Amino acid sequence: MPVPPVPLDDAPAGWAALMRFLRSAGFRFALLFAVVFIGASALFALVLWYATAGSLDRQTAAALRTDTLGLMERWREGGPGALSEAVAERLSGDVENTAIYLLTGPEGQRLAGNLDRWPAGAEDDGAWITGIVERDGSRVEARIFTRDLGEGYRLAVGRDVEEKQRLRALLAEGFGWSALGAVVFAMAGAAVLRRALENRLRPAAMTARAIAAGDLSRRVPVAGRRDEFDRLGEGMNDMLDRIDRLMEAVRGVSDAIAHDLRTPIARARAKLEEALADSGDPDSLRAAMEQGIADLDHISRVFGALLRIAEAEAGARRAAFAPLDLVPMLADVAEFYGAAAEARGQALSVDLPERLELVGDRDLLAQAAGNLLDNALKFTPEGGQVRLTARAIGRDRVEIAVEDSGPGLSPEDRARAGERFFRADASRATPGSGLGLSLVQAVARQHGGELVLQEASPPPGLRAAMLLGPG
Amino acid sequence: MRILLVEDDAEVARFVRKGLQEAGHIVEHAGNGRDGLFLAASEQFDILVLDRMLPGGVDGVRLVETLRGQGNRTPVLFLSALSAVDERVKGLQAGGDDYLVKPFAFAELLARVEALGRRPTMEAPATKLKIADLEMDLLSRTVTRGGRRLEIQPREFRLLEHLLRHAGQVVTRTMLLEKVWDYHFDPQTNVIDVHVSRLRQKIDKGFDRPLIHTVRNAGYMIRAEA
Amino acid sequence: MRALAFAFLLAAPALADGNEPVPRVTTDSREYCAELAERLAALPASHGEPVRSMAEEGRRLCETGHPRVGVAKLRRAIRAARVAE
Repeated sequence: MPVPPVPLDDAPAGWAALMRFLRSAGFRFALLFAVVFIGASALFALVLWYATAGSLDRQTAAALRTDTLGLMERWREGGPGALSEAVAERLSGDVENTAIYLLTGPEGQRLAGNLDRWPAGAEDDGAWITGIVERDGSRVEARIFTRDLGEGYRLAVGRDVEEKQRLRALLAEGFGWSALGAVVFAMAGAAVLRRALENRLRPAAMTARAIAAGDLSRRVPVAGRRDEFDRLGEGMNDMLDRIDRLMEAVRGVSDAIAHDLRTPIARARAKLEEALADSGDPDSLRAAMEQGIADLDHISRVFGALLRIAEAEAGARRAAFAPLDLVPMLADVAEFYGAAAEARGQALSVDLPERLELVGDRDLLAQAAGNLLDNALKFTPEGGQVRLTARAIGRDRVEIAVEDSGPGLSPEDRARAGERFFRADASRATPGSGLGLSLVQAVARQHGGELVLQEASPPPGLRAAMLLGPG
Repeated sequence: MRILLVEDDAEVARFVRKGLQEAGHIVEHAGNGRDGLFLAASEQFDILVLDRMLPGGVDGVRLVETLRGQGNRTPVLFLSALSAVDERVKGLQAGGDDYLVKPFAFAELLARVEALGRRPTMEAPATKLKIADLEMDLLSRTVTRGGRRLEIQPREFRLLEHLLRHAGQVVTRTMLLEKVWDYHFDPQTNVIDVHVSRLRQKIDKGFDRPLIHTVRNAGYMIRAEA
Repeated sequence: MRALAFAFLLAAPALADGNEPVPRVTTDSREYCAELAERLAALPASHGEPVRSMAEEGRRLCETGHPRVGVAKLRRAIRAARVAE
């Protein structure tokens, strides 16, 4: 179906348009996407930071600790002299030029190392500080670890971490750019997501709009991807088909009322008028009036049947649906109509399973089964056979069938038998409204099934089966 | 019986009132729900016949709900043009005792009014129902006539029980369909007549005095006198 | 961001200036150059190549006012001499 390009949103007009945008599901989904994306990126960056910048710090700390352990070994072995020599030797081999040492004596005098005074804030034994030292006229950051050696001797071991700080800054800059990139990606992704969502929803929205405008023939085009949007579209289409059928049913009832109720009304009216015109004899007048009342009763019965069918077709009695066992219900119906069969010398046989569970409307199902039996009994000659069976088909389908040994129906008549007021030519002489099978069909459809008419086996005869599905 | 009729259609009201009066009842009439409620609450009636839809802000269902709320247990028969089963259920749930769909035959209305107005008392549930020489034992579920035991099917037993409980009253085919079979639809054929005639075969055949009588244009009645 | 950096610039000298002067690293000086040269001379491998020329270059850099680079050269020479042993 060609879809004219109707804009989903009207031209944005200032604040109201902005508010509508912010409230739209597309925007919220997009925002969610962006938040999740940025969150994931931040987590990733955190891990990366710990593994790079963090590891630089940890490396420095580990080196300081090892260095200090080695020096303290020397202290234990040779006292201040050996330690001073070890410090001087380490300083002399420090090609990277980052080492910082200071060994002070009991009076605080410097014994060895390359710091001119004890760093501030590092008075405690085992203190870790990050401080500023002056180096070649400039101030640089250093990590310093101190130990009290006893007898007033103190040792400070440090590293100039300026170089590492620079590396860290470089990393931080990289992370900053990445974060900016992530935000840009998140926003772009969100926009794409929103656009995609909008595009997928547009057909449904446009169909709904067209329907609201009165074009009930429109259906949601389904993309065939079998995804959520397709399911939404299919759901909408099913709903629209259902509405269509309901409207059809309403039209059907009004057609039926217009066409088929007027005929008996006209007939009754004609008879009464005739009786009034030649009302010489009070007995015949009385008979005419009785006939008139009987005609009206018939009209009101037809009317009741039509309403019942409409009720079933509208599905309005879903409220009366309850789990029930069909077997006792069918046995009751068979017993009820069995009396009529007996009176006419027909044999009604019943074949029911032990249990037949179903969710349905007991009263309507009983009436439908009754109509099937009534129909069969009417068209079966005296001494004929009528058989009521019920069985489960598969897990959740049930068949209620009535088979008779009457004349049966031609295939053409079978196709039309569910129509309202349809009566096969052969049955014109039999009393009936022509609504019996219509009701059966409506009830079967209401229970998610259908009415199936077949030739009886062995022929002749009609097999009418109500298939009831999972509602 | 003293009957309150609440019906807004003047023609239907006149017809029903006339018919009930001819049957020997006293009829008060109210044309809308408000007046009907006032009358029903202030005076004593044996039965209320209410239109389901009434003008004046108080419809039939509201009227019954109000009365029942006040502890008034007077039997109520609804008259209604609404035939849908949901509507019937609504009417009965509100506290109505019976529900008759318009259009109706007057005989049907009269039979239902009399059945409701003379309901058996609930205090002492009878264990035996008797008419003339016919006796029904509700505990052993046996029926005897003139001391002779009759073979009766369960459904025929219920049919006979219903007739006996309303002995001397007309019971219509629709009433039997509703009360004995619990069917609320039109069975399309005269099956009820077939069932009654089968019962009649067992009860009356071979006895010189028939008990089950056909009332023309109305239904059936079980009574002792001919 | 800028405000934060500015606060840091203000805070850093304050942290260092505090009550005491900042400790100074003494190994970026000509004196230390001399100390390293002495230390190198005591090593047996100090006359072999490339140790000797590296030490020469380090000394020259110290004297021409680039003690930091000179110290680095000398330390490299010392390390090379120790490896050669």
